[in-house]
Amino acid sequence: MITVNLEPDGEVIELHRTKSVLGALNKLKLRSTMAIVVRDGELLTSDRKLRPGETIMVRKVTSAG
Amino acid sequence: MKCSRCKKLACVALPSHTAGFCKDCFPLFFTKQVETAIRREKMFTHDERILVALSGGKDSLTLMLELKLQGYDVTGLHIDLGIPNSSEKARKKVEDFCRLHELKLEVLEMEKEGLPIPDVKKYVNRPVCSVCGKLKRYHFNRIAREGGYDALATGHNLDDEVARLFANTMRWDTAFLSDQGPTLPAADGFVRKVKPLFRLSEFETANYAFLKGIEIHSDPCPYASGASFTNHKELWGELEYRSPGQKFQFYQGFLKRGKPAFAAIEKEIGASLHPCSECGSPTSAGICSVCRIKAAVAKAKANDPALKE
Repeated sequence: MITVNLEPDGEVIELHRTKSVLGALNKLKLRSTMAIVVRDGELLTSDRKLRPGETIMVRKVTSAG
Repeated sequence: MKCSRCKKLACVALPSHTAGFCKDCFPLFFTKQVETAIRREKMFTHDERILVALSGGKDSLTLMLELKLQGYDVTGLHIDLGIPNSSEKARKKVEDFCRLHELKLEVLEMEKEGLPIPDVKKYVNRPVCSVCGKLKRYHFNRIAREGGYDALATGHNLDDEVARLFANTMRWDTAFLSDQGPTLPAADGFVRKVKPLFRLSEFETANYAFLKGIEIHSDPCPYASGASFTNHKELWGELEYRSPGQKFQFYQGFLKRGKPAFAAIEKEIGASLHPCSECGSPTSAGICSVCRIKAAVAKAKANDPALKE
């Protein structure tokens, strides 16, 4: 299971059977250029692998403009 | 994915550039895009004074830091809208950011101007976002003129510009289509307006802000209604995913081939501007819309039974 801290919504979401950043973004219905993904302070591209038990921060980038 | 420049592990993938960058090379790419925007669009020089509109969001703070790092003479301007549980947070982010990076900052309080946004929401029978935007643009321009600044810079990025162009096109709004662009020269009481981030997407500014450790104000405005621009951005996000680079092509194509045609039409039919008889700001009417809003709010407040005894 992967834990996602979703910003700026402030939600915490648990994702099951998710093995990559791309997989996580797909489950959150986000394209790879619609959010930044961070693990332990490091930005991740969508091809990076995720391991069970990890926590990531997903910050949506769209502002009201 | 490997960095296109140094071949280390990439942390930012940019499909529209068919490239990826590591944490050290991405800021170099970003700086180059801003430099290109300023040079090609003749925005300003190192001898000029630039006023930067700071909301506290990622784009404006990113712009301010990047211009400072490029050695420009920048001063920030934050407008405190007076919205409870929101404006004080945004203002603190801006003040902390400017203190940390030793940046000059001016703050305008709408409360002191007699037009806090909660009053606008309560007493003006128009969408509050539209009136708030008008008031901010008015004060940005006024303060830039009164302070003798050469240009007013805003953090509008490629996504903002494409969403605005799309909305203007949907309405075939010749007035807006005639002067939308990254540089609007000074004229008729208006200071020069520039958008140095127009070549960069929202995703790119978000990555830059994160890598530079910028603390941003990301709470949505409590008065925002899920504006149509956000929907347009989502539509364009999907188009960009299917065809990377499309946003920039659409915008650049407009600047080269669309805008001149609309500018020619507007020259024929556009309204001429005169100084407002109350405040001196340029307007196509006798009294500008901001002075009219101010008077309407004052009148409504005077007649509000809830405020009497």
